[in-house]
Parts: sequence; C-alpha cells; structure tokens
Amino acid sequence: MARYGMVMDMRTCVGCQACMAACSTENQTPFWSEKFRTHVEDKETGTFPDVRRVQLPRLCMHCENTPCLSACPTGATHMNKDGIVLVNYDRCIGCYACCIACPYDARYAYDSEDVARERELYGKLVTHDVPHVDKCTFCVQRLSEKLEPACVATCPTHTRIFGDLDDRKSEVHKLAASGKAQALNQGLGTSPKVFYIPS
Amino acid sequence: MTFVHQEVWHWQIATYLFLGGLGGATFAISAVLHLFEGCDRKMLSVAVMSSIAFLVIGTVFLLADMLQPLKAIYALTNPRSWIFWGVVFINFYFVAAIAYVIPLLEEWPMLQPIIQKIPAPILGLLERFNKLVALGGSAAGFLVAIYTGLLISAAPAINFWNTPALPLLFVISGFSTGAAWLLLLSMLSSNPGAQAISAKLEQLDAMLIVTELIILGAYFNFAMFLPTGARASAEFLFHSPVFIVGFFVAGLLVPLAIETWGIFFGGHSEKDKPKLTMLLASALVLVGGYLLRIYVLKAGMFQYPW
Repeated sequence: MARYGMVMDMRTCVGCQACMAACSTENQTPFWSEKFRTHVEDKETGTFPDVRRVQLPRLCMHCENTPCLSACPTGATHMNKDGIVLVNYDRCIGCYACCIACPYDARYAYDSEDVARERELYGKLVTHDVPHVDKCTFCVQRLSEKLEPACVATCPTHTRIFGDLDDRKSEVHKLAASGKAQALNQGLGTSPKVFYIPS
Repeated sequence: MTFVHQEVWHWQIATYLFLGGLGGATFAISAVLHLFEGCDRKMLSVAVMSSIAFLVIGTVFLLADMLQPLKAIYALTNPRSWIFWGVVFINFYFVAAIAYVIPLLEEWPMLQPIIQKIPAPILGLLERFNKLVALGGSAAGFLVAIYTGLLISAAPAINFWNTPALPLLFVISGFSTGAAWLLLLSMLSSNPGAQAISAKLEQLDAMLIVTELIILGAYFNFAMFLPTGARASAEFLFHSPVFIVGFFVAGLLVPLAIETWGIFFGGHSEKDKPKLTMLLASALVLVGGYLLRIYVLKAGMFQYPW
C-alpha cells in the first residue's frame, strides 16, 4: 500500500504541453472537445517592465480530505488503497456535484457526444463506454504495470516527479518534505498530494 | 488568484432549486395553516397537489441535467453527500404529501370514484392521522426547501455559495414564494374559507420579505468584506440589471410595498381588497424567487489559486 503523490518543479516547466498530449493519448480523454485531465496554465505576472511568464501544470490533487468524494451521492468517486481518487464510470450519474465541489478545476464531463466520438476514433479499444465525470487517475492502469503516469514519463524537463510520499527514499518524499514544495489552496484543508516548487 | 464563473450548473438546476423551494414551502405552510388556522380543505388540496407537481417538474429538470439519469437510484449511496439527503427529504416529502392530500381530495365530487377505490381501512387511517401527517409534512417541506441551499453551499472554492447565509436565504425565499403562491390561490378561489386566509398570507409574505432583505444585507456585507471570489460574485450581481430590477426591486421591494399597503390601508373586508394588485404582488414574488436562483448560480465563481 502506497500513498502516491506528485511534485511539480515549476522552475523547469517550459509549457510544452507534452504532458497533456501524453495523458490524452494514454487515457483517451476528449481532446476533440478540448477537455483534458491535466493542463498547463500559462500566466503572466508582474507589471511592466518587471514581468515574467510562469507555467503551472495542474491536475487532480488526489486530496486526502476530498470535497469531491463527500459531494458524490453515488459513491462513484472513491479512493483506492494507494490514496488515488478514482471514478467508477458505471456508478456515476453525472450530477456534477463533484465538479462544483472540486477546488482545483480537475473534473469535466465525458458526455454522450464524447463517448460517440471516442467510439469513432478508437473502435473496440474504447475505455470510456458510458457518459460520466472524468478526472486524472495518476494513470492507475500504468502503475499496476510498474510504469510511471504518462505525463511524468513524457515530461522532457523533469518537472513532474512522481512516487510514494511515504517512501522516505523516494525523490518525491524528499522534495515534499523539504519545505520547498507547497500544496495549492492549503487553507481549504483538503490536504492535496500534489505539491509545487515555485519558480 | 483567478476567479472563473462556474459553467457546470445552469438554468435547469436553478429551476429545480426554485421549484424545490416553492413546492416544499407551499406544503409546509399549507400544513401549518391546517394545523393552526383550519384552512379550507378544497384550497388546501389544490395547494398540496400543486406543490407535488412543482416537485415532480423540478425533479424532471434535475434528471434532465444529469449524464446518466436512469441510474439516479445510486444517489442513495453516500450519506456524506447533500444529494443523498435531498433524495431522502424529497421522498419523505412525496410520501407525506400524498398521504396528506388523499383525504382532502374527497372534497372534489369528480374525484370520488378514484378515492373510493382505496380500501376503506387505509382511507380511515389517512383521515384519522391527517393532522399528524400534516405535522410531518411541514417538516418534510422545510427540509426540502432548505436542502436546495445546502446543496449549492457545499462548494469550498465558490466563496459566494460556501456560506451559511445561502441556505438561510434560499429557505426564506422559498417560504416567501410558497406564501405568495398560496396567496395567489386564495385570491383566485371563490370559496369564502380560502379568501379568509389571504390576509394572514399577506402578512406572512411581508414578514418573509423583510427577513429576506435582512439576510440579503448580511450576505452581501459578508461578500463585499473580503477580497475573495465572493466579492467578485457580489459585484457581478450589482452590475446585473435583471438581478437588481427584476429580483431586488420588482421581486422584493414592489411586492413588499403592495403587501404593506394592503395590510395597513387595504381595508378589512374582502370587497375592499385590491385583488388585481395582490395578484400582481404574488406573481412578482414568484418571478423574483426564480430570478434569485438563476442569478445566484450565474454569479458562482471558482476561486482558483493560479
């Protein structure tokens, strides 16, 4: 039993969006509707002439105290033994209560039009066979094969560092415990398992 | 920090919230009137049947907004979710409302053949415990009305919704629309028993509107105080003419003025009552209640940390 988490090193992110492409390919997310499980926010900060661009990669924070899990009336949203927040597609009624409850904009509707388009593109290989609310799973299907999430494996600048937060030898544990990395919206008490090293 | 308008729940959910509040409050007020005022049974039956219709239509709007409405039964799985409790409250409401209204329907001769098909012992029980069911029904109606506010307040990143004031605002607004609907029914009824209750409903609605104004004042004071998404939402509403004119002026101040005038200067006999003006006041409260929910949903803004 692990406690998977991620550290985003914003000092190295160049905003190439390869993570978004890799995730979309791996998880058949509806890129045709511009819906993604992971995004890279491209922000401009400061005032002229002291301005800079910042890239902030984001995805589901797999919170310890999950507002989405509390809001889900059907139990479709659940946490597995490794602390990964997942959605049971067959159980999801698509009431969107989880989308409203999520403070990190990490969820979207995989609606019937997306399911139909996915069938056209992937044929028998479809993974989203019914409409549901979708989100990042830390590529749970890859973890079971001892592979890293697709976004982590693809990132060319080692911005995304993934691993078991409880494994003291892991890089992700060391960075998360170093004090350099901070979680977003900590005041909400959601205890995210994704941390950010500011640029 | 980024403020982003929520694009998840739209007018369909606003309609559900409005009809839920209206239906729940209509039944709750009807039941209380029955218990303490002994209101006309014919009018009560129309009121409760209409409140059931509001809840049914509202539920249809909710289901229509879902991705998988046929699986809605799964919503009774997680007691930590407000939707779970909403389903419980609404079912409790339906059972209480139907059990309550059946004996009242005997007042309608054309429905007698249908009522008589119900076994006599069951009908006898429903008649015997009618007031007890009314008591349970008033609780069910209240719970449904307040649930509509609790549902949307469970949004930690939408500061404008995530406040104890919102369920209070929705329940008071729901009861105001319920009182307005009953006032409308009583004014339209030709039955003297129903008309007799209109003065009380007029007073009740005026008191509810004053309470709603106080809650609105506290709510907006809270929203404007901190530089959060709540302030951005409040500013959005202040700059929405339909919210200001349609809800605040036409849906609250005008009906309050009409009802206050009716209470103090409208005369005491039914002939003296300006019927058309009172009907207008009731209709404005109902439209205002709907606009409030549409605009509160529109004003919901996520406060993202990026």
